[in-house]
Amino acid sequence: MIRRRKKLRVCLSASSGGHISQLLKLAQSWKGRETFFITTAEVVRANLKEYGKVYVVGECNRQHPLKLMAVLLKSAKVIVTEKPDVVISTGAAVGCMVCFLGKLLGAKVIWIDSITNVERLSLSGRIVRYIGDLFLVQWAELAEQYNNIEYVGAVI
Amino acid sequence: MIFLTVGTQFPFDRLVQAVDDIVGDGMIDEEIFAQIGKSSYKPRNFESVVSLDKKAFDERLKEASSVISHAGMGTIIMALDNTKPLLVMPRLKKYSEVVNDHQVAIARKFEELGHILAVYDVKDLPEKLEKLKFFVPRPRDNQAKAVADRIAKFLNELQETKY
Repeated sequence: MIRRRKKLRVCLSASSGGHISQLLKLAQSWKGRETFFITTAEVVRANLKEYGKVYVVGECNRQHPLKLMAVLLKSAKVIVTEKPDVVISTGAAVGCMVCFLGKLLGAKVIWIDSITNVERLSLSGRIVRYIGDLFLVQWAELAEQYNNIEYVGAVI
Repeated sequence: MIFLTVGTQFPFDRLVQAVDDIVGDGMIDEEIFAQIGKSSYKPRNFESVVSLDKKAFDERLKEASSVISHAGMGTIIMALDNTKPLLVMPRLKKYSEVVNDHQVAIARKFEELGHILAVYDVKDLPEKLEKLKFFVPRPRDNQAKAVADRIAKFLNELQETKY
C-alpha cells in the first residue's frame, strides 16, 4: 500500500513594509508547499493572497506591553489552530513572537535577520537566536560575531 | 515628478517640512508628489496624500524621476527594484521618529556602496537634492536565489525526516 505523504505546513511571518519585502524575495524556497501568513497590517493583505490564508494580528513593539499581549494572544490562537511544522520569519516583534509560539508547539524555526541590521543583530534576532534551527544573516561580518549563524548572502 | 514618501506607520514631519521649505524657496524646479502618512505637517507647496494603496503607490513610483524618503527598507527595496535614484533621510531616535537608529546604519552602508544617496541633517538637503538630479544608482548584486536554495534544502530535509 502506498501511503500519501503529508505536506509540510509552513508559517510565514513578517511585519508590513521592509520585513515582508525581504521575506517575499525568498518565495521560491517554499514553492509547492502549504503556507499561511501572519502579518501586522490590513494594507498588505491583498498582496499576500497567493501564500494561503492571511492572518492580520496587528502592530506591536516593546513600548506598548498591553498591545503586545493582545497580539501575542491572537498569534497564539492562529498557531494552535494551524499547527505549522516550520516558521519562516524576517521579523520584527511579531515574527519573533510567532517563532517562539511555533517552537513551543514543536515547529522548526527559520530566521532571516533583516538587512537593516548592519553592525549587530536585530533585537528580535538576538532573542530568536536561542531557538532558531536555521539562522541566516545578510552581512558576512555579522556571521563572524556569533556562533550558529550562517551567511549565504543578501536577499536584496 | 519627484516622489516623496515617508511610510505610513509613523510621522516624519522633519523631512516633509524641510522639502516643503526648499520648494517654497524656489530651490526645486521639478514637481513633487508626497505620501506623508501620519505626519501632522501638511505641505503648502506641493500635492500630498496620507496614504496610497499598493497599486497607486507603484504607479507614482514608476512615474517618478527620483524618490526622496525615510531610510525604511520597504521604500529602499522598491526604489532599487525600479532603478530609481533615491535620496534618504534616516529617522532618528533623538527626535522620537523611530525606536532605534538602525536607519542611520543602513543609510550609511547603502550610500557607501553607491546604491542610494543619504542626508543626515536638513541643512544638507539642498546640496543633496542637486546631486540626486544626476545620481545613477549602482544596482544591488543580491544572492536571493542562493538564500532561497538554502531554505529549500532545510525544508526538504525536514519533509524527509518528518513525513
